[in-house]
Amino acid sequence: MTISKSTLRGSNRLKEGDKRRVVDETSRKRRQRKVMELLESDNYHDDPHADLVMSKKIPRFDDSLEQRSTRTKKRNQLVDEDRAEAEANKRVSYMDIQCEESPMPPRHFCAVCGFLGHYSCLSCGTRFCCIRCMDTHADTRCLKWAA
Amino acid sequence: MNSFEQKTYSKLSSDRNDRIRTKRRRSSVGPSDSNKEAKKECDLMAVIVDSGAYTIKAGLSSQQNSTLIPNCIMKAKSERKRLFVGNQIDECRDCSGLYFLLPCERGYITKWDVQKPVWDYVFSKNVCPINDNPVIVTQPLFNFKSIQDCMDEIFFEEYEVNSMFRLNPTDLARLKYAEELKLKDDVPCVIVDSGFSFTHVIPYINGNKYLNGIRRLNVGGKLLTNHLKDIISYRQYNVMEETYVINQVKEDTCYVAENVKEELKIAAKTGSANHIVRNYVLPDFNNIRRGYIQDPNNSDQKEKEESCQILRLNNERFIVPEILFHPSDIGMKSMGIAEAVVKSIYSCPKQQQENLAKNILLIGGNCKFPGFRSRIYADLRSQLPQAWEVNVYLPNDPISYCWEGGRPLLRTPDFKNFLVTKDEYEELGSSIIQQRFNTWMIDNSTANEEPKRAVEVYKYLDKLNSQTIFGKQDNGNNSLETKVNKENINLSMTPPENGDSGTPISLGDEFDLGTGSEDTSQDSFQQPTEPEIISRTARKANLRNNSPENMVSVNKDFESFTSDDLTNSAELFPLGTGSYL
Ligand SMILES: [Zn+2]
Ligand SMILES: [Zn+2]
Repeated sequence: MTISKSTLRGSNRLKEGDKRRVVDETSRKRRQRKVMELLESDNYHDDPHADLVMSKKIPRFDDSLEQRSTRTKKRNQLVDEDRAEAEANKRVSYMDIQCEESPMPPRHFCAVCGFLGHYSCLSCGTRFCCIRCMDTHADTRCLKWAA
Repeated sequence: MNSFEQKTYSKLSSDRNDRIRTKRRRSSVGPSDSNKEAKKECDLMAVIVDSGAYTIKAGLSSQQNSTLIPNCIMKAKSERKRLFVGNQIDECRDCSGLYFLLPCERGYITKWDVQKPVWDYVFSKNVCPINDNPVIVTQPLFNFKSIQDCMDEIFFEEYEVNSMFRLNPTDLARLKYAEELKLKDDVPCVIVDSGFSFTHVIPYINGNKYLNGIRRLNVGGKLLTNHLKDIISYRQYNVMEETYVINQVKEDTCYVAENVKEELKIAAKTGSANHIVRNYVLPDFNNIRRGYIQDPNNSDQKEKEESCQILRLNNERFIVPEILFHPSDIGMKSMGIAEAVVKSIYSCPKQQQENLAKNILLIGGNCKFPGFRSRIYADLRSQLPQAWEVNVYLPNDPISYCWEGGRPLLRTPDFKNFLVTKDEYEELGSSIIQQRFNTWMIDNSTANEEPKRAVEVYKYLDKLNSQTIFGKQDNGNNSLETKVNKENINLSMTPPENGDSGTPISLGDEFDLGTGSEDTSQDSFQQPTEPEIISRTARKANLRNNSPENMVSVNKDFESFTSDDLTNSAELFPLGTGSYL
């Protein structure tokens, strides 16, 4: 495996003036959502065989089965159906068993080094622990997501 | 066995000692149920398939062990002429940048063009052929109807199985647990199943799932690996495309800390005082096929490793599994695994709560993190009443434990009659047979009492909270923040607003409980006040309370079903749909 010793991903030193820019609540939410999506993703990169005509190598259902619409249902659709059916039958549904929020206060870790992060970034709210980590954050991920 | 077994962390050994101690204590808990135990050898043979989202555990019930098969199709950058299905990945020379085709989305099968070929591989001649055996296959809790339709169709019409039974993996684990510890067959227990896609907490009472006590935490091994990938890529090398390798790094190096703050203090030290930091030799798929932790004392090895890439792991080792215990660490609005167990126990009938705490079973791959068991135990011990006995049991192999439950299932009296035959499927159709699968081992007969109890539980927890048993609010932290506030003026940083953080959000349907939580994220970090909690609980309890008379049965009179309900058919259900264990 060859991994190039990477410089930190992205690196746009912010101009002094930009520092005042504050990411609003909506963008912060959007950023958080992107992070959560990334954490559930199957792959980060594209299919390495995408340029090949590989599809015929993948064993497939025969045509009659392929046509069944049930096979191609999206997950959201499944959840919605389950919820509707559960409501009609007054039963516990998939959504009902989701964990509640914790009453415990959240903990904060430095996004750069992983130790306790007592400060938060003025612009985006990301946590960090010291000036050095703040600089690294400002040089790399700060506002990167906000665009 | 697995990499975890080879490593010699002090963490691991202490954890294992705990386990042995528990075992010993446990064996004296219940006298073995000797009359049932001696009963008949397994005359029924079946193919048992625990079809997880990450690995499939398959094998004939007569075999000692199951075969572990990755539930995915992989594409390698190095070999463009072929795909690797399941264990075929062992034939792949260079596993860098592996691309995964996974059949499941958050634990539920959605990509049938991936799942079918993997199953074809599993049931092929050299892996686990079905032949004429009955098939016992697992499905996730609340498996969606159209997914079940597909499964019926594939097994009966394509594989042409003679007979089949489908159940949740934890149903099997429960049977195995009672058998292994020689407990009563219907011993009340709480099963914590922490797998690839999510973590379920499922209480069993009288041998049945108690629906109102079930909790799902949307954190699983996949999320942990992806998080580790992300922080390594940010701090050291870009490994975003190396899911396969980083998953091994996680398995080889991560552990659950007993006390995170203390662990962080050690990780902050330099030199030999820091006994946490590890160098991990990444595979180059030339000389090294699988990465490993570098041995600092082996200098011969060191020369060989000079050309290799070394990953330095410090606080990452325990911060990553921490997400299971505090999903809020990554901004997820959900309680952690130990809290969920407490919540689950308190959602069950009062007279059962203490018994449930005595029998907590851990299964799933995440339970293999060293220290996992003792941390859960410690967290539960501090949150449950002192007078209660708390036992947490971690099996030797928490991954194949459910599969091993197939044998006790087959030994269950008259299990044969519960199998659905191909003829029955053709005559009755999917909906009827699914009812048979889905009402198995389910109980919510006491659902009507729920709302009152839910509020009481919260009051109880609040009381605990005020005694700082539950909340564990760290005052030291607060004072630090105040100190920081002063410094901020000089540093021209923003003072950390009280409770401000990385803006937690609702993640689509997963986080929306239908109570408008999406819009309340701003104040999500404030401790909810009591009335808020109660109203929210009551709303939720109401939702549950409306629940199922017609869906589930168990202790309810079998006759109480309407007459056109086919579950009433003595032919279909010779023993009734209730528990017979
Ligand atoms: Zn830092
Ligand atoms: Zn920032």
